[in-house]
Amino acid sequence: MSTPDPGSFRDPASRVVIDGDIVMRLLDELGLEGWRALSATDFFRNAVAEGRLIDSVEIEPPDGSAGALRHPRLDLITYPYEWTFSMLRDAALLQLDLLEGALSAGLTIKDATPYNIQFVDGRPMFIDIGSFETYRKGEPWIGYRQFTRQFLFPLMLRAWVGVPFQPWLRGDLEGPTPDQMSKLLAGRKRFNTSALLHVRLQARMESRMADRAMRQELSEAGFSAEMILANVKKLRSLVETLTVDEGEQGWSTYVECSHVTRDRTAKSEFLDSALKKFVPGRVVDLGANDGHFSRIAAENGALAIAIDSYEPVLDEVYRGSAGTGLAVALTDLANPSPSQGWAGQERGSLMERARPDLIIAYGVIHHLIYGASIPPREVVRWLASFRCPVVVEFVSPSDEMVIKLVGNKLPHELHPGGEESEFRAILDGSFVTVDEMGLSSGTRTLFALEPR
Amino acid sequence: MIFGYLDPGSGSLILQAVIGGLTGIGVAYKAYRARRGLGKVDPDSEHDGDEENAGDAALPAES
Repeated sequence: MSTPDPGSFRDPASRVVIDGDIVMRLLDELGLEGWRALSATDFFRNAVAEGRLIDSVEIEPPDGSAGALRHPRLDLITYPYEWTFSMLRDAALLQLDLLEGALSAGLTIKDATPYNIQFVDGRPMFIDIGSFETYRKGEPWIGYRQFTRQFLFPLMLRAWVGVPFQPWLRGDLEGPTPDQMSKLLAGRKRFNTSALLHVRLQARMESRMADRAMRQELSEAGFSAEMILANVKKLRSLVETLTVDEGEQGWSTYVECSHVTRDRTAKSEFLDSALKKFVPGRVVDLGANDGHFSRIAAENGALAIAIDSYEPVLDEVYRGSAGTGLAVALTDLANPSPSQGWAGQERGSLMERARPDLIIAYGVIHHLIYGASIPPREVVRWLASFRCPVVVEFVSPSDEMVIKLVGNKLPHELHPGGEESEFRAILDGSFVTVDEMGLSSGTRTLFALEPR
Repeated sequence: MIFGYLDPGSGSLILQAVIGGLTGIGVAYKAYRARRGLGKVDPDSEHDGDEENAGDAALPAES
């Protein structure tokens, strides 16, 4: 039985429904007209062949729809608040490229949201075929404002203000308004030409022109596709200049710490053995760091989802992920992306979307226990909730990293369950240990666990 | 005129004409005057990129 995708309802002309592994897009008359115009172009065929646009085949529509398309089901859906800087930047450039290509083919894209873009095998792909429609003479770019709020301003926030955009996009799915962005810009950047136009002037004109329709007037005044193309060209140049300062503290200064590199071979072999035993289709690597263990999972044929909260390293993982079967998602494991949006369901929680068949939890649970003060029993309960095998690295309180994480906390301020014997007892309540290995440090033990 | 599901924002719409080059500034000015009920601009008096007009279009006064 098909169910409507909870994140696809805003455009009345096109809606996605899912039936098992089948993804269908149902179109009304207007949506069908847009599809027919799009599918007749070389632009469409080339974009699909290049993997920049999702493959789409017209099928017999069900009752109540004028048309229907079938799309391949994507392995993983991620949202812009789980993307790294380079991911949002690549998505922004794809959005602009496709708009330019569409205009050249007599079409336009009626919106401009990163939720229409997904990462497939490490590359951005536009998935909302329903966004394309025939360009009507005199029409402005309806998606411009949305492009600035959901692509441009978040990138500016990171590149110019030095503030991560993900918390903002997670808190406000529409992105910063021009007025908010204007208030955030400080110093010389306020007088940058692009900031003056896209941020400050837009903010001022929004406030001056609220409640006044302008679309018809612009069309009658002679607005043309060339003006959109000129804007797109300038926006592309601007987005290309937005980068994160490589010297910025905490961005590119990742150092291979001894606790990261130590025991890597032993941990790799232990994981490889577990992967061969359980043969998972989907592996979620919690605290993926530089993606080393995710890559081992991918090499074993799984879709590997590298999850971490440290953007600089995850950004590098993304930049090296094309064609590797590795996906990335930025999130704080102590506060992973929740289900949210309209009715609390429009954007599903990250772990619901990740759907692991096996979890790697190397070098991470001690950060949850000692860094985020989550009781060991709760960490194990959470891992067990996925009902799949887990490969976990236990780190004892005497480990040098735990001593650092504990910092000024006194022993009685720590949760019980941190000692290895206690932790084994907690594990025993939810899992069967199928394999284990002590690491050379003497303070760390690996467990391969199967749910009871 | 077919309206989409997305509200494009009037200020943002007119801004993209301004960004769209010298011709666009003239278009923005014409559209803005039309919206304020000031009638059509005499085509003979139009000057693409006219600084005074551009300034008016770019920073419309309260009305």
